[in-house]
Amino acid sequence: MHLTGVAASLLRLGRRFLPQAWRAGWVTLASATGLWLVLSINAAGAATAEAAAAAASAPPGPASPAAESALSGTGQRIYERTRPRLLQVRTLLKTQDSQSSVGSGFLVDESGLLVTNYHVISQFALQPSRHRLVYATVDGRQGALELLAFDVVHDLALLRPADPAPLAGRGAVPLRPADEPLPRGARIFSLGNPLDVGFAVAEGSYNGPVERSFLETLFFGGSLSGGMSGGPALDDQGRLIGVNVAARRDGEQVSFLVPAARVRDLIERGRGAMPVTEPAWAEVTRQLQAHQATLTERFVALPWRSAGHPRYAIPVPQEAFMRCWGRGSPQAVRGLQFERSDCAMDSRIFVSGSLLTGHLSVRHEAYDGSRLGALRFAERYSASFRNEFMGVDDNHRTAPRCVERSIDRDGLPLRAVVCLRAYKKLEGLHDLSVLVATLDGSEIGVQGRFDARGVSLASAQRLTAHYLDGFAWSTPKNDSR
Amino acid sequence: MVHAEERLALIECFERDGRAGRTVDVHAWPLTLGRALSNRMVLDDAYVAPRHASIGPDAQGRLVLTVLDTANGVAVDGRRHGAGSTCLLPEAGATLQLGQTRLRLRLPGETLAAEKPLPAAAAVATPWLLGLALLALALAELGLGLDPGADLTAWLPVVVGLPVAVAGWCGLWALLSKVFQHRFDFAGHLRITLPWMLAVQLTDAMLPPLAASLGWPWLWRLAAPLQVLLFALWLREHMVHVLPAYRRTVTAAVAAATLAGSAISLSFIHRATDSYSRAPYMSTLPLPATRLAGTVPPSVLVQDMARLADPLAARAKKAREEDEDDGAADEE
Repeated sequence: MHLTGVAASLLRLGRRFLPQAWRAGWVTLASATGLWLVLSINAAGAATAEAAAAAASAPPGPASPAAESALSGTGQRIYERTRPRLLQVRTLLKTQDSQSSVGSGFLVDESGLLVTNYHVISQFALQPSRHRLVYATVDGRQGALELLAFDVVHDLALLRPADPAPLAGRGAVPLRPADEPLPRGARIFSLGNPLDVGFAVAEGSYNGPVERSFLETLFFGGSLSGGMSGGPALDDQGRLIGVNVAARRDGEQVSFLVPAARVRDLIERGRGAMPVTEPAWAEVTRQLQAHQATLTERFVALPWRSAGHPRYAIPVPQEAFMRCWGRGSPQAVRGLQFERSDCAMDSRIFVSGSLLTGHLSVRHEAYDGSRLGALRFAERYSASFRNEFMGVDDNHRTAPRCVERSIDRDGLPLRAVVCLRAYKKLEGLHDLSVLVATLDGSEIGVQGRFDARGVSLASAQRLTAHYLDGFAWSTPKNDSR
Repeated sequence: MVHAEERLALIECFERDGRAGRTVDVHAWPLTLGRALSNRMVLDDAYVAPRHASIGPDAQGRLVLTVLDTANGVAVDGRRHGAGSTCLLPEAGATLQLGQTRLRLRLPGETLAAEKPLPAAAAVATPWLLGLALLALALAELGLGLDPGADLTAWLPVVVGLPVAVAGWCGLWALLSKVFQHRFDFAGHLRITLPWMLAVQLTDAMLPPLAASLGWPWLWRLAAPLQVLLFALWLREHMVHVLPAYRRTVTAAVAAATLAGSAISLSFIHRATDSYSRAPYMSTLPLPATRLAGTVPPSVLVQDMARLADPLAARAKKAREEDEDDGAADEE
């Protein structure tokens, strides 16, 4: 269903009224990574979680009643000031009035231009003939919206009302100037309409940029719920820090904002644009092409780290914008011993509910079959090489096509398979999978897999060459034999 | 007691299941056939006329069949003759069909097939050797999959399961033989099963490692269709053993079923993978000691990738065209 794709990375907050699928999605995530199972969200929902968060966020220590009232007073003040500029953005099916996606938004200039997340309006952007966009203000005004521009990579969209009159003159949410950095721990306020329950203010703290993230994302220490996507997160003077975009459901109050600078760029770029009336696949593709080129450039520029294997050099990525997890077989195992490393990017680009792309992952398994003997090791080593899924023809991508060779890396023989799948709607973009197995050892070996989602052929070739370069003998060949 | 010299011909009457039942010695021509008691050979068949046909020499001394007053006529070696017609009979004999009764007329001019040899003493031992080879192969495969020091019970599935499975398989075929040939020919089917089963197993065990050693993915991909082919031939052997008279029909049926099954299965595979192999790459790795294929520099593989682009782009374009009307990509 719609949100299962979202579950693969972060919970996008554009609520699509599929709470069951939503939770199921998170359970899937938890079990897939094996790390976050215990902490997956319960069914009690966001309301209680937020109440608890509000209670927990009271300042510690000897807080005077006056200080407390001052804090809640700030929230009140900000809500009062921002109220006229705060909107709910709905995507409706054209033929009926049922909503297929709901998020939040805010006005960014006097003429009624407003900003929300791309993922809130993605259905309209990709299928404008079947959907329409409407806004609803806090005071109950409603009207049709037009999509002017979007930034699929940073998940932002710029819209304007079809009839500017009801939204004109309501003022704009000011952007906090870039030269006034906010200190970590500063109190900020996120506004939006969680779960379509009603407009709300969620207090939390500003925690700086998310570490090891390829795309600059801000870490908001507060609760965000579905439906708040696209709402503004403001400092204590009501200036925009970022736009609500996602939350992690395997932790508590770990939420994310798109920095205000990206909003500024989008407004400049999209202010005078013509409204989108045709499916925007071409523009999405153009933006993803630029993203993959930058990603490839930056990734290839990073040298590989050592995996610390006594026999082989194995490519392990720097953790500049990836996160790695390791795991080994229990010592008591009689059979095959292995150590595994899994590195993946957190930044994934939402194209549609069932399509996330624009990210890389690197994985390897180092096998030791000294307790098995050569023949048994060969059987398991081959079975592991076989146990790799390359995908089949689906809604978004073609079936894989592969090339395979036995290659030589400075004397180290490797079996390498490269598979590509083309995106059907994102012309010129591919999913790349590279599978590598060392062939020299009769009781030892390493198998690695590199995946890149949404890359051009040229980037795929560069990344493949870069990945294969990461394999070698760790010491001169004679010593390691 | 009938002396062979006096016998002019022999008529064998086939039962429904194709075996020869009643036989009639002919000592004098003409011979009349029909349901009436006045015939020399009386047939108990509702589709036969009271006086159906007669066989006797003509003026030149050649043996001729005369079809008498019958609606159904007589088929001689498959060719139909109506009432009142006559038909010259071949000197080597002929097959006659009267109503539902099939007869074989054997004449002194017939040529007899050579004597069939009984299975030699060596051949009796062959099933045992083949069976042991099969068991050894299966045990070796199981042993490779078990970790060292595995419990003895882990071997039971093969030690017990394989003989039981083979016996069950041959038993079912022997039952079919019993139905069609009145003979529970377990040993005959066992002699068929063992070599074919061994061939299928050997293909499975040897071909992928061989292909991996040589670095020939095409040979690796051949293993699965080859096994299907071997299995089809194996089935054909059993069926021919059950229905020896229908060798051609059985062959055609097995071939047709194999082709149809393969076509359906390939079309499913093609829909999901856009190729005719379920495996996207050769997933067997060679043993270091048997790796015969050479290696190439990584840049060759990277260059290879370029040739993937065009077919993928064409496939994506086709999908876009098919999807043009509804653009349903975002609906799920």
